[in-house]
Amino acid sequence: MDTLIQYLQYLVNGLTLGAIYSLIALGYTMVYGILKFINFAHGDILMVGAYTGLLTYTALLGESTNGAWMLCAFFIAMLVSMAFCAVLGMFIERVAYKPLRSASRLAPLLSAIGVSFILSNGAAWIFGAQSRRFPYPFDDSPIMIGGISITPHQILTLCVSLVMMVVLTLFVNRTRMGKAMRATSLDQPTSELMGIDVNKIISMTFAIGSALAAVGGILASFDFRVYASMGTMTGLKAFVAAVIGGIGNIQGAMIGGVLLGILESIGAPLLGIPSALKDTIAFAALIIILLVKPDGILGKNEREKV
Amino acid sequence: MRKVFAFMLVALVALTGLYANGGSESTSADSDTYKIGFIGPLTGDNANYGIRCSNATNLAVSEINAAGGIDGKMLEVISENSLGTVDGAIAAYEKLVYSDGVVGIIGPVFTSPALAVAQRCYEDGIVMISPSATHKDVTSLGDYVYRTVPSDALQSEVAAHYMYEVLGYRNIACLYAMNDYSQGLATGVEEVFTELGGTVSAMETCMVGDKDFRTQLGAIRNTDAEAIYIPNYTVEDALILEQAAQLGMNLPFFSSDGFSDPEIYNLAPDYTDGVMYVGPAQAEASTVLADFTAAYSAAYDGDMPDSFATNAYDATYILAQAIDRADSGDREAINEQVKATSDFSGANGIINFADNGDMIASQGVYDVDGTTPVYVGSFQIVDGSIIQVD
Repeated sequence: MDTLIQYLQYLVNGLTLGAIYSLIALGYTMVYGILKFINFAHGDILMVGAYTGLLTYTALLGESTNGAWMLCAFFIAMLVSMAFCAVLGMFIERVAYKPLRSASRLAPLLSAIGVSFILSNGAAWIFGAQSRRFPYPFDDSPIMIGGISITPHQILTLCVSLVMMVVLTLFVNRTRMGKAMRATSLDQPTSELMGIDVNKIISMTFAIGSALAAVGGILASFDFRVYASMGTMTGLKAFVAAVIGGIGNIQGAMIGGVLLGILESIGAPLLGIPSALKDTIAFAALIIILLVKPDGILGKNEREKV
Repeated sequence: MRKVFAFMLVALVALTGLYANGGSESTSADSDTYKIGFIGPLTGDNANYGIRCSNATNLAVSEINAAGGIDGKMLEVISENSLGTVDGAIAAYEKLVYSDGVVGIIGPVFTSPALAVAQRCYEDGIVMISPSATHKDVTSLGDYVYRTVPSDALQSEVAAHYMYEVLGYRNIACLYAMNDYSQGLATGVEEVFTELGGTVSAMETCMVGDKDFRTQLGAIRNTDAEAIYIPNYTVEDALILEQAAQLGMNLPFFSSDGFSDPEIYNLAPDYTDGVMYVGPAQAEASTVLADFTAAYSAAYDGDMPDSFATNAYDATYILAQAIDRADSGDREAINEQVKATSDFSGANGIINFADNGDMIASQGVYDVDGTTPVYVGSFQIVDGSIIQVD
């Protein structure tokens, strides 16, 4: 098999991995854009999303092996999980972050780390330490296109991520709520004076980010399995993706995620480095990108206003 | 000049002290008991292993004493806590050997402490038998160090020979995690397989906890490998099998005893068919094992011994019989007699030692049918080639 096909295969794998990172990175970047705060519990929301999806899916499915119902149940489970995580995200913001909004900037950060521990340890306590499979809602045998294999779940991942990102972009750019979000992110006090309910916008941001994390968590669990600490590494990588793209910038998070996925998949073989070091390469790339462009690829180089 | 002299004097005094101390111990063994030392973690996270091994050693000794001891002399076990660390094990060793004057040591339980204590046993000339340290380097010094657990080296030898001789592969690839266990097995297989004349065309690595192995598998797909050796734990192996199938690869997989954990069939039930692996040999159910298990359970409130405890039980009997044959507490004579152990019949079946002190043991080979491992047989490496024992 020639090298070109091998690298195209890496590209396909990197793209699907990157799509998942992008979905999760959106949550980090949206919250940062509005509150200038890194929500470190975001990774654990994706874990909650994966468990909720898995439990709902298996409950809906029961003993059924009907192909159409499996796919249907999968999408219902995804919606249930999105709704659950949206409510959870808003609840966490209300309880753990809002009271600290006027405190020093470190306080909500530490509060977020606390929430992260509560969620992951809580899940380990309820569900145990063993990882679980998320069963494919369809036959996942690979489709071969000229020596490159792509599986139905990879296609699903790409399609769902694409739809989510298009919907989000339309929402932010074309609706009144989206406009209010952008305004809040630009200048919070002025937006408030203009009659925008900032608290509502912040709640909504957490809800949307968490719902996207739920989708990311479910899609990730095909490849990564479902376990209590699954959010840690995936969340960290998504955070890196958000920073690479320019934190606070929605398109940046999408680009950053895909870029990180591809770097992880292709970097080691391209440089002839042992594959065990592929995460190292991805993180080294982060340092290089930040050295060249400290605000990330699409980050705005904002001057302090006088 | 005066300083040098003073230093030499101090050194001389210290040495004499050490010698006198060491000398007095051999004589103390000539009293009415033989002292045996046990080193293992008796507190801390891994205390379960140490306590069970210690229990088994004590059980063996009390059985021997109840049957009249060794030519009328009683055995005495002194259990020291290693805390599972190298420092703890060395401190325990020094107390047992220099102060208590034991004639032999059962333990240490873990690889790193065992490596450190093995060095000291070799230097001081005292027998140590580990029930559980599997790293191949533990017995690398050659003398005084034995074990009643199969070395990791044996597993990779059987795996390499089986793939080359029985399955007829000439070109394989390895995909392993960067930890002692997986790396030791993979490099062992690479070494033996290459010696046999085969080619290892890829040594792909990953980290424990990695979830995406498509890059490594893609690289292997681009080689001429006929099979893939995956000596990892179940979580990694499950994902590797599944992702290989998703990449449309249909190369056969060969794995290690990590695969004998049935959890693999929950994690990758659709992908385990046809995987072969080297695992524990299935010993014929012996009455010694049944008796030991029953006696242990009765002595320790219904607790059940693990396989390491069974090994510790055998190790204690081997040491006791060596003392009996040596007919003295002389450490050198005991070493000769442990080495001369021939067809010892214990709870784990028949035990003999190789020249380096490793247990000569067979390994089982399994072939997975769907989600059921089917036992192919027990295999040993004799004179450089594989033979089926049963």
